[in-house]
Amino acid sequence: MILSIDSSHGTSAAVFSNDCLSFVSFDDPFGHAESIGLAIEKALSEAQVSVEQLTSVAVGRGPAPYTGLRVGMAAATALSKARSLPLLGVITLDAIAYAAGEKDLLVVTDAKRKELFAATYKAGKRLQGPMLLTVNALGSYPGFDLIEQRCNAKLIGSYAQMALQSGIDLNELSALYLRSPDVTPSAGKKVSG
Amino acid sequence: MELKLLTQLDLPAIMQLENALFESEAWSEKTMRSELDAPHSYYIGLFEKGLVGYAGLRVSPSDFAADVLTIGVASSEQGKGLGRELMNALLSHAKRQGAEQVFLEVKESNQAAISLYQSLGFEQIDLRKKYYQPSGENAVVMRLSIQQPIVLGIESSCDETGVGIVRGNRLLANALHSSMSEHAKYGGVVPEVAARAHLEALSPTLDQALLEAGIKLEQVDAIAVANGPGLAGALMVGIGAAKGLAVATGKPLYAVNHLVGHVGADVLEKGAVELPTIALLVSGGHTSLLLVRDLLDDVVLLGETIDDAAGEAFDKVARVLGLPYPGGPQIDQLALTGDPKAIKFPRGLMLPKDLVEHKYDFSFSGLKTAVARYVEKAESDGIEISKSDVAASFREAVIDVLLSKAIWACEEYKIPRLLLGGGVVANSRLREEAKRRCDAVGIELRIPRFSLCTDNGAMIASLGAQLVMAGRKPSALGFGAESTLSVTTVQTP
Repeated sequence: MILSIDSSHGTSAAVFSNDCLSFVSFDDPFGHAESIGLAIEKALSEAQVSVEQLTSVAVGRGPAPYTGLRVGMAAATALSKARSLPLLGVITLDAIAYAAGEKDLLVVTDAKRKELFAATYKAGKRLQGPMLLTVNALGSYPGFDLIEQRCNAKLIGSYAQMALQSGIDLNELSALYLRSPDVTPSAGKKVSG
Repeated sequence: MELKLLTQLDLPAIMQLENALFESEAWSEKTMRSELDAPHSYYIGLFEKGLVGYAGLRVSPSDFAADVLTIGVASSEQGKGLGRELMNALLSHAKRQGAEQVFLEVKESNQAAISLYQSLGFEQIDLRKKYYQPSGENAVVMRLSIQQPIVLGIESSCDETGVGIVRGNRLLANALHSSMSEHAKYGGVVPEVAARAHLEALSPTLDQALLEAGIKLEQVDAIAVANGPGLAGALMVGIGAAKGLAVATGKPLYAVNHLVGHVGADVLEKGAVELPTIALLVSGGHTSLLLVRDLLDDVVLLGETIDDAAGEAFDKVARVLGLPYPGGPQIDQLALTGDPKAIKFPRGLMLPKDLVEHKYDFSFSGLKTAVARYVEKAESDGIEISKSDVAASFREAVIDVLLSKAIWACEEYKIPRLLLGGGVVANSRLREEAKRRCDAVGIELRIPRFSLCTDNGAMIASLGAQLVMAGRKPSALGFGAESTLSVTTVQTP
């Protein structure tokens, strides 16, 4: 019984036991902190599953806009710790690619600032990425089907379930930012004119 | 029937009832008068056209205990459950004040009272022979044990990831991870750097707190989290974690105010805070002067900074002097050998014309610029200056304004108590000068230990515990981060 959580765009949670038993999504891209508890609670209640029945927690670890991403990851970390459950870290682009099938894929999501988070896939395996691409660079991947799609907890849970069965390692749990914090060390500028 | 706090105005009515009920064992009027005003005492009366019953309790905050001092109901009103009503009011007060035990003595012959106390959970722990004089009657000593709530609190409003655990007013754990060193190269807190560090520190800090407290998460009765004011992206990490914990454990969740948390931290040091009090909170993000009549219901913002926070001014001046971040400790160190009167730096918002609208507000931006002008002019003129004198004179200007206004507030509101909190309170000179000025005018000064002054999870847990102890409802699960949350919103509903 897997609880999956994703806050890469909206805020969503889903419960899987082979099938997807429930999926709750809040689309507000600025309401992660508000929605996260409600999404998890509602996903559990719609699936008629109690937290005690869960066997693992899966979470989307990006790449995604940072502020929202962290909310889902913090909640998943705390929840899995509180229930002593394994936490599975899923790269959002992998989850999107898995749902699109075993084709040659270029999967992209919005990284803001006219850039994209991207990865390429061949026969279900990631070739390159996750990486940052400019919109102009999209033409540099001939032969790959372009998939531009938002991730959600349903995609994350579905991928995590497959990965668990296939023995794919999901132990890496750090957030994927792909950019350094947007700041430069201070140069000691003059204060007075 | 109305239940009210008793004041000196009620003294004649109390004495009339006291003398009628206790006759030769009644307290004198003098004793009763001083009891009503004694620190940590709580006297209540039931009124119906006049006083028909009264009761008193004394809390010993640092012992986590309380004593029922007296209780009496007019003979014409006995047998109507008024004694129980009074006792319940005393006990809810004791609980709110952090008492883990409540003691009382009762005459062995007063079986009605003994059964009432037993029904409230009191147990006999001792029998004192011939305790009551002159009657020579035995006293039964009884005790009630109160299970205070265990609350876990999460703080992530700036650059400290804090997880604290308290039981009532007792500190069980205060685990902290700071990302301060990661901000040093930028000369100040970078929100994105802070938020990333929170996510990474979350799991180890949570583990450390539980280990320190020696408890399991299942034993926690409630979760509290600071949801503002602070850096939105940083706050959201704590909120996400707190909601994850709350859903996982099914425990109630309280969204509390970070600034009020600073005021509440002191209960972990010396027990329930004597109220009302003036509180001065000084940190890298805040400079606020508060009037606290009730920690949960009545916190008034008297004034705050209109530009830079005091801690921010320390950081900026440190940079001007070529010192690393954070600036407070650096300036404190350098100022040791400097003359605080060497340079007359401006005191912000202290002129009579400023006081009309900004009596309790602060401004440190002009001071910071004045220091920079002074240093940069000396540099361009090729004049050697004493950095120690600059540091000492700057520090003195900040402290002078902070303490002048805090003490004005104590005087204007006739409150002889001042509570200091926030990271800047670590400043040795501020502590020393606060003590000197408060002593000079008879103001009781409370400064929590350093680890409770700076941002920490224990203060959030403590404020959460206060809410639980007062029987407040948990927050609804849909709250968010409020970066500019007003200090008057103690809990987001």
